[in-house]
Amino acid sequence: MSIEKKDLVKSIEQAYSEGYTYLVKITAVDYVKTVNVIYILRSLDKNQDKILECELDPANLSVETITHIYEGADWYEREMQEMFGVRINGRKAKRLILEKWDGKGYPLRKSFEWGKPYEKE
Amino acid sequence: MAITRINIGPVHPSTHGVARLVVDLDGDTIVKVEPHIGYLHRGVEKLVENRIYMQSPPYMEKIDYVAPMAVDELYVATVEKALNVDVSEKASYARIILLELQRIASHLFFIGSVTNDLGQSFTGFMWGFMDRDKVLRLLENATGQRMFYVNMRLGGINREFPKDFEYETKEFLDYFEKRLKDYENFIEKNPIFIQRMKGVGILNLDDAINLGVTGHVLRASGVKYDVRKNNPYYKYSELNFHPKILSDGDNLSRFRIRVMEIRESIRLIRDSFYKMESADGSMVGMPVKLFSPKPTNKISIVNRELPRGEGLMYMVADDKKPYRLSMRAPTFINLAALNKIAKGHKLADLFSIFGTLDMVMADVDR
Amino acid sequence: MLIDNILNYFYSGLNSSNLLVSILFIAIYAILISIMISVFAYVFGWVERKMIAKVQRRHGPNRVGKWGLLQNLADLVKLITKEKIIPEDADPLLLNLAPILLVGVVTFIILLMPFSSYLQATNLGLGLLIIFVILGFTPILLFITGYATGGKFAELGAQRSVLMLISYEIPMIIVVATVGIAAGSYNLTSIMNMQSGLFNAFLMPIGFFIFFVVMLAELERPPFDLREADSELIAGWLTDVSAPYYAVALMLDYTRMFMGSLLIAILFFGGWSGPILPGILWLVIKAFVISLFIILVRVAVVRMRVDKILKTGWMYLLPLSIVNLLLTLIIVLK
Repeated sequence: MSIEKKDLVKSIEQAYSEGYTYLVKITAVDYVKTVNVIYILRSLDKNQDKILECELDPANLSVETITHIYEGADWYEREMQEMFGVRINGRKAKRLILEKWDGKGYPLRKSFEWGKPYEKE
Repeated sequence: MAITRINIGPVHPSTHGVARLVVDLDGDTIVKVEPHIGYLHRGVEKLVENRIYMQSPPYMEKIDYVAPMAVDELYVATVEKALNVDVSEKASYARIILLELQRIASHLFFIGSVTNDLGQSFTGFMWGFMDRDKVLRLLENATGQRMFYVNMRLGGINREFPKDFEYETKEFLDYFEKRLKDYENFIEKNPIFIQRMKGVGILNLDDAINLGVTGHVLRASGVKYDVRKNNPYYKYSELNFHPKILSDGDNLSRFRIRVMEIRESIRLIRDSFYKMESADGSMVGMPVKLFSPKPTNKISIVNRELPRGEGLMYMVADDKKPYRLSMRAPTFINLAALNKIAKGHKLADLFSIFGTLDMVMADVDR
Repeated sequence: MLIDNILNYFYSGLNSSNLLVSILFIAIYAILISIMISVFAYVFGWVERKMIAKVQRRHGPNRVGKWGLLQNLADLVKLITKEKIIPEDADPLLLNLAPILLVGVVTFIILLMPFSSYLQATNLGLGLLIIFVILGFTPILLFITGYATGGKFAELGAQRSVLMLISYEIPMIIVVATVGIAAGSYNLTSIMNMQSGLFNAFLMPIGFFIFFVVMLAELERPPFDLREADSELIAGWLTDVSAPYYAVALMLDYTRMFMGSLLIAILFFGGWSGPILPGILWLVIKAFVISLFIILVRVAVVRMRVDKILKTGWMYLLPLSIVNLLLTLIIVLK
């Protein structure tokens, strides 16, 4: 299910109230033109998964945090921020998840060329 | 009292790999634990984008080196879904047998490492590893490799089971059922063990769901979720599988669930052998070739009950290579819950909690 | 018999009225005792490894020497010849002094023990009490080792050993007093003579049980090895210091275990009383068997947590030791 960026937190809150209380995964895909952020939510009662996809403009990569809804979202968000450069607004802890990477770019973006020698920023 | 900050790891006898925990202590009581991960990050998700589909399984196996086949299978199943390849009935049962054997091996590793974390001079550890080695020998017999099997092929496995495999496996299961009683008597019923485990590291049901923990941690907190039951793949629905659920959410429940799951796996393997006799098709899959079928599903999502919890792969398919592969590593999210569980406990309990969460740091970092 | 004559001569030397001769003989005796302790510690290092290996279905050391007998010697040589590093925060004086003092304490205690009716440095009327007074120093010395290295892990270990000390010291003293009351004397020889009919272990099984548990704690054997809990504190005070200290610590562990088993043998298993064999052999055999039990405990149990030890000490061991005292009084006084 595709959603707009501005509705993101609202629709996740709505999904939560519908019984999708379990967060399975937050991930992102770099389609070069857009970067899509994907939320996979699960309802344990209905035994159903719900996939929310949100297209972001690569020039302005940021989403609101959802840690106030799902506590477990924290690490996924930190990982996404580190790997894709998707800024998470409203996150308390500033430290990223993996150890500090001082190279250029974000590893899982398509612009990050694989196999190139390490280049310091 | 002043708060002491100690740094545990990255190299420490009981961090199951290279994890670094920064622990704030008030006397001997934990105020805060902050796990620092990433020492084993290899960027598997990026590596895969530069390999054709069936080149990747060896990388996948190294994600979780305690249960390599399970992750391999998860990846191959994702590719199968993307390329729309069917798995024959016989191959399904064969995979179930191998995966459950792998699960037993992984759980034995868990039993060994937990007793070691609690400070039992290696007895449980040696016992667990001794029996795990027997399972590994069976798997070697079936797949040709002892630890990193790379035996999953599109639509099946790499070769037929050897003639003596069924007999040997059943013989092992008979032996192991008796042996499991030893484990229960020696470890699970040991009063000091119970004293150390019972009521320690409690994660209640709401927190478990909100934190998104998975696998045995979730089931020990009383959530009825096992992918094999709730979203059955292969022939699990025909095998009359019962997920094991306890409701205390403490260390002891997490340990007991594991032992119960071993028993369930033993039953599943026996059933599968029985049902496999009348199953159709061949268990051998396609050989690995440079040209694989064109993908038909652009986005494929597959989840599996790995030994350590629910694994999920989100794959965006390209012609020959995955465009993007994202994996939900079960231990990654279980580790995120560590701070919540360990707060307020003694330092000694941190390691029993860390142990019962069953960390494999390679899996956390990917 | 020749042996008896030699021992007799030795005994008269030990208790000579000439102070100089007496001191000389005591010095010789102390050297002999130290040699015995070292031999015992060495043998036990091997027995422990071999026995644990058997329980764990391994082979244990089997390459250096017959049945791996020389393995520990090889390890010792390796450890001692390694570079000696002392961390910057450490207090080198205390760090080096504490193990030496510990060895001194252990040797001194064993010197006070009667190995046979002749072999004893001096036969003190209050020998039992003096032994436990000196034994009271060991936790303090261990505590010092913890603080002297200046590491945080060592500090945590030291804190734990003090907490443990509060929990087991009082039951231990009560049990020891009970043994003294039962024998009507604090003289070790008379305590042993008293047990010629019935061993104390059978006279007061509760007391024996408490003393055994307390000794495990005193010797810091599993499940009470909190100070060096390897999965939590890495190696306690040994974390920051280098290999030679590790060798010393290992040897110390075994000498302390020998001392503890000797104490149990004397207080609860009649010391050197036994048929046919000479007394000194009986005592050593008993100590050996008790040590085997102490090792077997290590194989089976997981480590206890410090607050649980406190609880066990105060809620179970202390009341039990008082019950034991009362029961013994009833039996002895009729």
